[in-house]
Amino acid sequence: MKPLNAIALVATLSIPVVLHAQSTPPDFSGVYYPINPFGPFRGGPAAGARQPQGPPPKPTASAPLSDGSRGRSPDAPALTPEYMAKWQMISKTRIAGSSEYDPTAKCLPPGMPAMMTMAYGMEVMQNKDKITFFSELNDALRRVYLDGRKPSQKVLDDPTYAGYSTGHWEGDTLVVDTVALRDVTFIEGFTPHSDSMTVHERIRFKEPGLLEDKITVTDPKALTKPWETVKTYRRATRESGTDELREFACPEGLAEAK
Amino acid sequence: MRIHWAGCGALLGAALFLAPLAEAHHSNSAFYVDKVITIKGVVKEFKWANPHVWIIMTVDDGKGNKVDWKVEGRPPGILGRAGWTPKSLQPGETITVDLSPAKDATASGLIARVTKADGSILSNAPPPTE
Repeated sequence: MKPLNAIALVATLSIPVVLHAQSTPPDFSGVYYPINPFGPFRGGPAAGARQPQGPPPKPTASAPLSDGSRGRSPDAPALTPEYMAKWQMISKTRIAGSSEYDPTAKCLPPGMPAMMTMAYGMEVMQNKDKITFFSELNDALRRVYLDGRKPSQKVLDDPTYAGYSTGHWEGDTLVVDTVALRDVTFIEGFTPHSDSMTVHERIRFKEPGLLEDKITVTDPKALTKPWETVKTYRRATRESGTDELREFACPEGLAEAK
Repeated sequence: MRIHWAGCGALLGAALFLAPLAEAHHSNSAFYVDKVITIKGVVKEFKWANPHVWIIMTVDDGKGNKVDWKVEGRPPGILGRAGWTPKSLQPGETITVDLSPAKDATASGLIARVTKADGSILSNAPPPTE
């Protein structure tokens, strides 16, 4: 190979490397809806099953059963005996018809990581220094700082529902760590946790418009091992007519809610 | 959403049949969510409010008594994507409601779906996101 050609080849090969190093991160901004937020629905038709013609059958349920009366799902977080006892206590109150151990029933935020279930809809707002996740459910909000700041002692001494999140980009993946979380929320369902819980996330576009959040929850007091889950969300298009979330204003009719 | 079943394509039917069960803003502990009963009555009031819409409807209990039922639906954000509007139900119209009864045995419940007099259905959830 002639020297000049070799130089040209090296130059050509190096361009993508240089571009990658300077590439801007993906823009997650938009309105999203969760895919299968509550896991497989038991009792529904099998995937691909032939649908009957004519009027739809009468519904057999109005909502997922969420009182623990069928026990814990095999993929639910593995609880220590102390926190399993808490879960069982809350389950009894729910089976009896009470929502007393449910902050969201009082219009409080679902908190992290439960809010990333995004039961209703999610709006992501992003700039270079911060990414903000908004949950239509209870108008809950979390901010992820991308400018290199770290949680201060003041922050650590003042836990919140959403906690304090900092993140950085690893290629096209946003890596987020969340600390300073209140212990009054649930990990998922009504799985309790301690004030030592931390949450690690890896967020990326699995494919265009399909956002994926791989969540790892660590809690040495409540969990016997870290709990991992993956959430996926589809970005709404303007054509779909669903790319605007409606105001939730939860306390509006709270006094009448059962 | 006005759905006329006579002319309804299989795809739409499938989408509705597979529609996920929407989670309320709360745990739904107050209701037997996996039981569904059907009531028919006349709309007295339709409240389009967060965190839940409400239908107050007058039902004939079959013993000569008129009973006011108070049934709870999903929030306006969810129901709006399922085709509801603040004007979906008018006082005086007759509706059939499939609902999960309250555990406290009061005349109340959680809506699974509403069927209007012309047969059109108001689902309690938008089509699933895929």
